[in-house]
Amino acid sequence: MPFATARTVSLQGALGHVIDVQTDVSPGQVGTTLVGRPDASIQEARDRCRMAIINSSLTWPATKRITILLSPADLPKRGTHFDLAIACSVLAADGRLPGAALDGAALIGELTLDGGLRSVPGVLPMVLAAADRGIRRVFVPEPQAAEAAMVPGMSVLGMRSLAQVVAELRGEEVPEADPVAAASGSRLLSWRGEERMEEVDLADLMGLADARFAIEVAAAGGHHLMLSGPKGAGKTTIAERIPTLLPDLTAEEALELTALHSLAGVLDPGAGMIRRPPFSAPHHDASKASLIGGGSGQVRPGAVSLAHAGVLFLDEFPLFRSDVIEAMRQPLESGDVVIARTDEQVRLPARGMVVLACNPCPCGDFSPAAANNRCTCKEVARRDYRNKITGPVADRVDILRHVEPLQPFERNDRFARPEDSASVRLRVTQARRRQAERYAEVGWRLNAHVPGAALRDSWSLDEAGRDRLDGDIYDAKITSRGAVRVHRLAWTVLDLQCPRDPGRRPGVSEVETALALRRGDPLPLAALRRRAS
Amino acid sequence: MSVPEAERLARVGLSLLTEPGDARVAAVVADVGAQVLYDNVLAQRDDSEVRRDARSRLEGCDPVRQLEQATRAGLRFVVPGDTEWPTQLDDLALAPPLQQRGGAPLGLWVRGPLRLDGLGSSVAVVGSRSATTYGADVAAQVAAVVARSGAPVVSGAAFGIDQAAHRGALGGGGTTIAVLACGADRVYPQAHRELIEHLAREGAVVSESPPGGAPTRVRFLSRNRIIAALTSGTVVVEAAVRSGALNTANWATRLNRHLMGVPGPITSAPSQGVHQLLRSGAATLVTSGQEVLEMVAPAGQHVLEEPRGRERSRDRLSMSDQQVLDAVPVSRAVGADSVARTAGMALLKVGPALDRLRAGGYVEREEDGWRLAALAQE
Repeated sequence: MPFATARTVSLQGALGHVIDVQTDVSPGQVGTTLVGRPDASIQEARDRCRMAIINSSLTWPATKRITILLSPADLPKRGTHFDLAIACSVLAADGRLPGAALDGAALIGELTLDGGLRSVPGVLPMVLAAADRGIRRVFVPEPQAAEAAMVPGMSVLGMRSLAQVVAELRGEEVPEADPVAAASGSRLLSWRGEERMEEVDLADLMGLADARFAIEVAAAGGHHLMLSGPKGAGKTTIAERIPTLLPDLTAEEALELTALHSLAGVLDPGAGMIRRPPFSAPHHDASKASLIGGGSGQVRPGAVSLAHAGVLFLDEFPLFRSDVIEAMRQPLESGDVVIARTDEQVRLPARGMVVLACNPCPCGDFSPAAANNRCTCKEVARRDYRNKITGPVADRVDILRHVEPLQPFERNDRFARPEDSASVRLRVTQARRRQAERYAEVGWRLNAHVPGAALRDSWSLDEAGRDRLDGDIYDAKITSRGAVRVHRLAWTVLDLQCPRDPGRRPGVSEVETALALRRGDPLPLAALRRRAS
Repeated sequence: MSVPEAERLARVGLSLLTEPGDARVAAVVADVGAQVLYDNVLAQRDDSEVRRDARSRLEGCDPVRQLEQATRAGLRFVVPGDTEWPTQLDDLALAPPLQQRGGAPLGLWVRGPLRLDGLGSSVAVVGSRSATTYGADVAAQVAAVVARSGAPVVSGAAFGIDQAAHRGALGGGGTTIAVLACGADRVYPQAHRELIEHLAREGAVVSESPPGGAPTRVRFLSRNRIIAALTSGTVVVEAAVRSGALNTANWATRLNRHLMGVPGPITSAPSQGVHQLLRSGAATLVTSGQEVLEMVAPAGQHVLEEPRGRERSRDRLSMSDQQVLDAVPVSRAVGADSVARTAGMALLKVGPALDRLRAGGYVEREEDGWRLAALAQE
């Protein structure tokens, strides 16, 4: 039979499509055509596959006309991982492989000229898509077998060369082959929560009762946070410790995040599934594409997506480029990013906590307390700097905190008992469990994810609390977007108290704490004491 | 100068039999003396209201044993006439009572090595128990600066501002004492055991109530007057409109002590009481420990420099020279007549002014006229 079909997966953002690679080998003008909207790297596959087949001591149908179709033909396709499916499809169409062996299997991998396999980015999301379409068997480059095996119910074959794949498909003994070469390029994300966990702890921090409470609330409810303060006040030190307050990822989160990292090609093949919430701190020179996602060719997830379910820390936020700052609006509001191209629209999840830090002025010394103000900036420069954080972006941040440098008497305070991360993490975990139970039926995980309308209808404040908040709206002290954010914060403040009465709703005291958190006002000490122990 | 044993024991006895800060008792003691009153109560003579009330506790009252037990527990009873007696408390005898509390205390029960006669320069830092992080930070900061200068900080060991004040003072490396409403051997609130025990080891824990006394509501009012009277000034940080700290403030005013208030955000409920004190003129606004020291220290010590804007070199020029300087353009050179026109001054005056400005380095002379030098552009 001169016709065969092999399957692989094409990625469009985080969406995978199963692609039939159909090959017809029949007499005619000698040559190879590849159709079905392949990009340049797939066009090159013809040469890679031909040499790989020949150098694997297999036969390339050199005297026939070969037509290869990537179906459905209307989808644009990119990537070098089509090689393995194309080669097998050609071999099967030429009768060198039993066509039935290709049924129900997906083939993923790039080929070298000597017939070896190479790793490709995005294996996990590809295998997820394949599983979704009923495929139960998948061939991947050997180093990525562990990644593919994270998908439940999938039979994964990690292969080193084309010859091994062919032998496996023919049901023959699999020959020896050289190990797969390491992926070119090094990991871009060298900062994983797990490694930092061992080094930093909240117990290292003296004072800052206010900021401690703020990051606890932010961690518990997944709220966005802005830390402002003069240089040396400890903004970065605090932000770095936020991941230590987060519980391990849920299975669902872990799969989403690992898939995103795989898409970006930053997944360490040896590390397996990502279990700890990620911490990403891109430098303020970062381009829009690196932060939000995009790039040429295949859409790559940006730092916001790589910090999904974790923490994205943007230090010196006003120094980021204006287009990057504006582009942050969408992930801050909706928890995802949409990257529009002429022929496609890619939506990527970006539901991490965003932590912004800014100095009060370009020199970083401005302090509203005039006595120790050493700022040398001109008033205009200060205003320009502040204006960089435009209203719409600032309005989307839930919690605002001012941090002042530690005073000597605070360092010498012998009665300070800085709580360690583990104790706080316990409370955060409890509070998150309460939220998961509350929203179990509707599928949200954290208060920060619940839409305003649903909050109003199903999880309203108690009457006195609503009155308190409405009063501030009438007095124009808060926008209605702000009020929704205060509403969410009030729930988190209550969740951290773990009230015995499961039916309790946030009231006046929770609303007032939430308002103080949002406005950057000092917090009532009583609220700090009320956390469940 | 030592106090007769009988006098001390009579005061111990009265301390056991009467409520601390009872203005009636203080009045009778001031009138007839502690020994006479105590004898009267014991002998059940002279049936006045004060004496009848005192007799309700007569059963089991044994001053000698009480004093022995207290000594074993590390307490001492300081009475007027002792060298350690803080004489500033005598001012209480002259002040009118407030809510029937008033008068000098019969004596003070003290636990800790710090001597009470060294509290002349001390400062009280008080405020709300339901304080905010802002108030706690400010209280600690003020207390740290005051304590660092050598002045002891007095407060009440309560939640919120009190605790922050004690901790700030200790963190600043100074001394601090707590005046309690319960007996000086007890700990209230329990959560502050570690702090209070530390004060008893390094500073002093003081109370007007006898050992074992419970912290009742009324005793807090009596306690507040001792805090105000012991110190040379009281700083109120965060007090809501119905806060006990306002009671302390009231006593400070009655005793002619300095009363100071640290303002908070105008929207903040816990600062409303302080704002009232400031608005009515009862308290002086302070924003730092240095400002507190300037208020309470003897004249001439701790004088603060007024905060001023940065002085620019052109500020030192005469007004007419500044007027000429303003008229010299930055970007191009112009003739003296143009400068005179812009400045609205006679050319005759502008010429010498420009020469002076050039000597000072403010303007430069070029071929076609005058322009601003770099110095003047800063």
